[in-house]
Amino acid sequence: MDQSAILDHQFTVAAYAITWAIQLGYLAWLGLKWRAQKRSAARTERTPR
Amino acid sequence: MKKFAIGLYVVLTVALLDWAFYQAIYVAPDEQTMHEVQRIFYYHVPSAMVAFLFFAISLAGSICYLAFRRNHADWAQAADAWALAGAEVGVVFCTVVLITGPIWGRRAWGIWWTWDARLTTTLVLWLIYVSYLLLRRFAAGPQMQTLAAVLGIFGALDVPIVYMSNRWWRTQHPAPVFGGGEDSGIKDPAMLAAFGWNVLAWLAWGVLILAMRYYVERQHQRIAAQEAQAALEA
Repeated sequence: MDQSAILDHQFTVAAYAITWAIQLGYLAWLGLKWRAQKRSAARTERTPR
Repeated sequence: MKKFAIGLYVVLTVALLDWAFYQAIYVAPDEQTMHEVQRIFYYHVPSAMVAFLFFAISLAGSICYLAFRRNHADWAQAADAWALAGAEVGVVFCTVVLITGPIWGRRAWGIWWTWDARLTTTLVLWLIYVSYLLLRRFAAGPQMQTLAAVLGIFGALDVPIVYMSNRWWRTQHPAPVFGGGEDSGIKDPAMLAAFGWNVLAWLAWGVLILAMRYYVERQHQRIAAQEAQAALEA
């Protein structure tokens, strides 16, 4: 494998890895937000009016 | 039944993403001039397509919010939730485009960035929708949703400009792969299949997180309404 092919491979891996990091990072943030909201909803329902 | 359908959709989406990855990395042949680095195309272009679609959903939600806000409050809130979900998930995909593009460009052109029409209009699009999200995050009061809807409509005007930029102006960015004249299109069937699978997979993934974001926003609206009602009754 020559130097150019190695660089091509590294750049491709970087692009794919960053794509997945962004998408899964957003999914994790959304999951945390969802969980916090579920707790907040449960608290609101428990609060007597 | 609903849970089963959602679970099945998630399983199918993950399987589709795996299959699309396999197609892009192992099945599609190397492109003749750019070799392996051209495989970034299979993530870069579908992400751009999904981002455009979700900005269009945000545009539709914003228009519906403005149309319904006086007479159909619940419809307007649902439209506002779609507008927010479309903008936010669109920004996620647009971020992928703006990061994978320069990585590819560095190997293909020897530069990370250039201020050509396609790249600049895409960056402007991203900035407009980030400002939309910042407005929603930090502004308060009843006017916020209306202002956000107007900004959402304004931002969507940039989408056709981004799409047409490399047709209207001479750019560093390559000519359009599809709809760019007689020579455009992917000639190799394996490359075309890998591209198609990736468009399908990222669309399925995008719809999944769009639906999640919509649900979370609707839940947020319900909690806010309940709290406002409780405050009035206290």
